[in-house]
Amino acid sequence: MSRLLLNETLIFASGFTVSLVSMPFVIRTMRKKKIGGIDVHKKDKPFVPEMGGLAVLAGTTISVITAVLLLPESSNTALSFLACILIAGLVGAIDDFKNLNAKVKPFLTLFAGLPILAMNAYNLRGIVFPFIGQTRMTIVYPFLVPLAIAVTSNATNMMDPFNGTMSGSCTVITIFLLLSAIILGRTSALLLCLCLLGPLLVFFYYNKYPSKIFSGDVGSLSIGAALGAISIIGGLEVVALVAFAPQIMNAFYGLSSIGKLYERRDVSRPIAIREDGKLMATRDPKAPITLARMILARGPLYEKEAMLLFLVISTISGFLALVTAYLIVVTT
Amino acid sequence: MIRRILDFVFILLFVWVCMILGLWIIDRVIVPMDLSGMANIYLSAILKVGISAFLVLMWLWIWREIVKRSFWHAMKTQ
Repeated sequence: MSRLLLNETLIFASGFTVSLVSMPFVIRTMRKKKIGGIDVHKKDKPFVPEMGGLAVLAGTTISVITAVLLLPESSNTALSFLACILIAGLVGAIDDFKNLNAKVKPFLTLFAGLPILAMNAYNLRGIVFPFIGQTRMTIVYPFLVPLAIAVTSNATNMMDPFNGTMSGSCTVITIFLLLSAIILGRTSALLLCLCLLGPLLVFFYYNKYPSKIFSGDVGSLSIGAALGAISIIGGLEVVALVAFAPQIMNAFYGLSSIGKLYERRDVSRPIAIREDGKLMATRDPKAPITLARMILARGPLYEKEAMLLFLVISTISGFLALVTAYLIVVTT
Repeated sequence: MIRRILDFVFILLFVWVCMILGLWIIDRVIVPMDLSGMANIYLSAILKVGISAFLVLMWLWIWREIVKRSFWHAMKTQ
């Protein structure tokens, strides 16, 4: 027991340390190469380096390698997880440099689910639902795996309106998935959550208001894919769906109000900045109804307050995810 | 601030409760439904999937309507 705890601590610490060491290097490099963007929600419009997701990928990779070395029996699940996030990260990196269109990007992220299928790293029988229990979806489920990875990665990519919202909400989701894995006794999910949590905590520290670095699509797509992979490999599909509710709500509201897949640069801005630095929801009927716009619908807020609200909403859906995990335990 | 959080809590709770209730209805009502008049078992299965899919679409439609109405209501009362 104590040896297992030591191994898990080492897995967490290795990813945390590598991300902590590599993040300042990524910030310096991206600033020097002028790879970044303008923080449009600040009055002075500062330049912020991008692609902080590279440090998250580096940390997660080291965590997974540590897991494979310390717990060889988990190498199949850990390596399929790693392959999945690296493919999503590659798609994100291409998008950071080439700006893929709104249909090509989701299509390419479908491929990130293939390693999970190829290595049989999922529950071959299907999803476990509360009340219903273990379902038999042997034919349908393999088709849902790439779709789930594409949905989680793109939904995460769409929900990055303010400093620290994507990194913060994904950190909260990972913590609640970890707790759910403990409740449900899913050891593989627990292990993968530990691999992701360390790098995410470091990234949140640098990405929170005022951001020192942005994730870039390399970060948001790979983190989203990682959360999708944890839910599939760890058998936490329904729990993750509930924990992921803010991201799903944001994507669903945006898509249903625009009526098609879109890129942020192609549609009217849903948020504007006022003279006093507060952010407000625009009244433009053509702008998508995103979660950020809904938060600001009751009146303007400072960016830091809006970020905190996002984290509160993620925490509430995290608690609902825990209740769902408990329901799975008691009703099946 | 509390009011904004409550807006989302209500929507989240509604969506979550509907999902749990929907799963329960599918498991306890739709799946065991006895369609004895149906000669073909495949046809009966397709009908059950169709009813379940209709429930899911209703859930999504109600969810979208609640969000749209609450958003424009909040914008008006600003």
